[in-house]
Amino acid sequence: MKMKKTLSLLLASALSLSLLAGCGSKPAGSQAGSTPPAGSTPPAASQTGGKQYDGVTINMWSMWSSGEPQANVIEAAAAAFKEQTGATVNIEFKGRDVNKVLSASLEAKEKIDIIEDDYQRIANTYPNILDLTDMAKAVNYDSFSYACLNNQVIEWVGHLNSIVEQPQIGGFFYDKAAFSAAGVTAAPATWAEFLDACQKIKDSGVAPIAQDAAYCDFAFYHQLTRHLGEDKITELDMNGGWSGTKAEQAAQDIIDLIGKGYFVDGAPDEFPSSENKIGFGQAAMIVCGNYVTAEVDTQTGSQVDWGFFNYPAVDGGVENSAAYAGANSLAITSYSENAQAAFDFIIFLTTGEMDQKMATEAKQIPADTRNKAYPSLEGSVEALLATEKPMTWCAGFHANTDLKDTIKSLCVELFEGKYATGADFCKALDALY
Amino acid sequence: MRKNKAMIFWFCLPALLSLVLMFVYPVCRTVLMSFFQVESVTATMADWSFYGLGNYTKIFGSASFMISMRNMLLIWFVGGIFTLAIAMLMAVTVTSGIRGKKFFRAAIYMPNIISAVALATMWIQYIFNYDYGLLNEIVQFLGGDKVKWLGTDLKFWAMTGSFIFGSVGYYMLIYISGIEGIPQDLYEAATIDGASKVHQFTHITLPLLKGVMKTSVTFWSINATTFYLWSKMFSPIDTESSTIVPVIYLYDIVFGGKGITKRDAGAGAAVGVVLTLIIIVVYLITERLFRGSDLEY
Repeated sequence: MKMKKTLSLLLASALSLSLLAGCGSKPAGSQAGSTPPAGSTPPAASQTGGKQYDGVTINMWSMWSSGEPQANVIEAAAAAFKEQTGATVNIEFKGRDVNKVLSASLEAKEKIDIIEDDYQRIANTYPNILDLTDMAKAVNYDSFSYACLNNQVIEWVGHLNSIVEQPQIGGFFYDKAAFSAAGVTAAPATWAEFLDACQKIKDSGVAPIAQDAAYCDFAFYHQLTRHLGEDKITELDMNGGWSGTKAEQAAQDIIDLIGKGYFVDGAPDEFPSSENKIGFGQAAMIVCGNYVTAEVDTQTGSQVDWGFFNYPAVDGGVENSAAYAGANSLAITSYSENAQAAFDFIIFLTTGEMDQKMATEAKQIPADTRNKAYPSLEGSVEALLATEKPMTWCAGFHANTDLKDTIKSLCVELFEGKYATGADFCKALDALY
Repeated sequence: MRKNKAMIFWFCLPALLSLVLMFVYPVCRTVLMSFFQVESVTATMADWSFYGLGNYTKIFGSASFMISMRNMLLIWFVGGIFTLAIAMLMAVTVTSGIRGKKFFRAAIYMPNIISAVALATMWIQYIFNYDYGLLNEIVQFLGGDKVKWLGTDLKFWAMTGSFIFGSVGYYMLIYISGIEGIPQDLYEAATIDGASKVHQFTHITLPLLKGVMKTSVTFWSINATTFYLWSKMFSPIDTESSTIVPVIYLYDIVFGGKGITKRDAGAGAAVGVVLTLIIIVVYLITERLFRGSDLEY
């Protein structure tokens, strides 16, 4: 019987151990902890004639999925970086939902050296992110990056904690061919010029504006920002009182666009149906982030000759030159044992040849201002460099997190033509409070 | 005997430990967390600050949460009536001896083996599409004007309809298994006594399926309460009030959404607790309504 008892104990222990083994970590050899701390000093291997980061392993969590153009460039950069410095970059492609696991993983101090995500979330959400100010100064980062994005991060956090990898800009993206065919020779800068361009495009047989429901709040937010400014929007978003403000005029402007028949048939449509109509030659322009150009080209198989202009200024507007700007950025964990190597890899990826490769293959704006944007995004680097303070994504609408979903739906209704006047729309907004 | 009991205990221990660690502990932690102000799900208890019923007050005072609850109840009630009624109709039809029973059973169950993402994409991009969608083709063929099936007025019902389409097959199989378990001699006796098919359905099939109906109502309640993917698919970029459900609300406040960096794991835990309570209440009501339904033939 004693034998039986021992056997049962052994079996139970084996079962428990197998369960625990499943939850265990990677072999010690694969952990960054097995490599010597780098800091600003190259690892010991370099002192014996090897490459600078021989034996160093950097763990990166990417927001892309394996096989995407961005992921391919990151992999190519990792291979080239290993060749050059000896450092191995282990990349885990976590996909767009990386933000759902990053906070918990960073709090638990998982073996991550580099994270990649939206720069606003890196600044305001994630714990244990390293201050990169000194490292950035050492490479003269300011001289080849976008001041508006760096300043925004510093305003949020108090210091620079991320390096821009894929900058974004928002505004009107248009089909140059449709504009030319309609006789619109210059991008409209004012609301009056914009209306004139819309009429000419409509007369040429093409619908001037495409609009997907998913971006109705983003589009209306531009018009509202021109009339009210972001601070005022935030204030109204929190407390109500939209009626009697210039929000009525902003809503009326949209209602007038609908009345004049400037939106493409079906707008606001279900994403991405309406934006695709630019690729099919049925619409001429859309308010969106720069990624819309790559989306439309890929989804429709077309090669639209894209142009970009900032959202037009309105008469008596308060923030007439503001433009949405954002970025996917890279950051280093504060507990990384290879912070300098990680930073060197980030700079390797976001400058020079690799950054140009990213801009070209992923059809993006380059992170390195000395590089060239993908042809369809021509002018975006200059526009970003000229931006002083970027608009954040519907920030004023998102101040009141409790109402943001309802306000978004009201914006869709506005573009659906459900309100007779701007005042009616503002009354509907005020009814939420 | 005592030795054998010890052996049973040791063999059960790993499973018990796993259950406690992976199920009981998270449940207890979530319930506890719902009474504290906690920013991050993984924050240590030292970072929690007692909030009493504050999280519950917050979510029940939230317009978004109340809209999400209304949407969920509509999916549960209206969707439930349609799904379970259609499933019952299909099950009765398929088991009535029609030709091609296997084909119909497979065809109706088919949506369940297709990924819900693919299914939702088909509905959004093909069936409901404004320009070339199947429904608008039919409407135009009949001489009507195109309808915005995914506009703010109809989006919720478009989503619920698609969900019903994807769910009917599963409940049909449950009903089929219940119907096939009813002894055939009951129907034969009823036929000899002159009972019509409708009478046989209302006086034999339905009463004897009470137990199966109880199970399907419970399963449906769990499905409706944890409704998530279809809502995400019908609001691809950001949450909209026409499609928001409690799990989406929970997800947004715990992890943040597009352009949203504020997180509130405590309120998220409160939402989780409320949803669990709803399922328990529905289960208890169902148990009471269908009491004495466990039959042996």
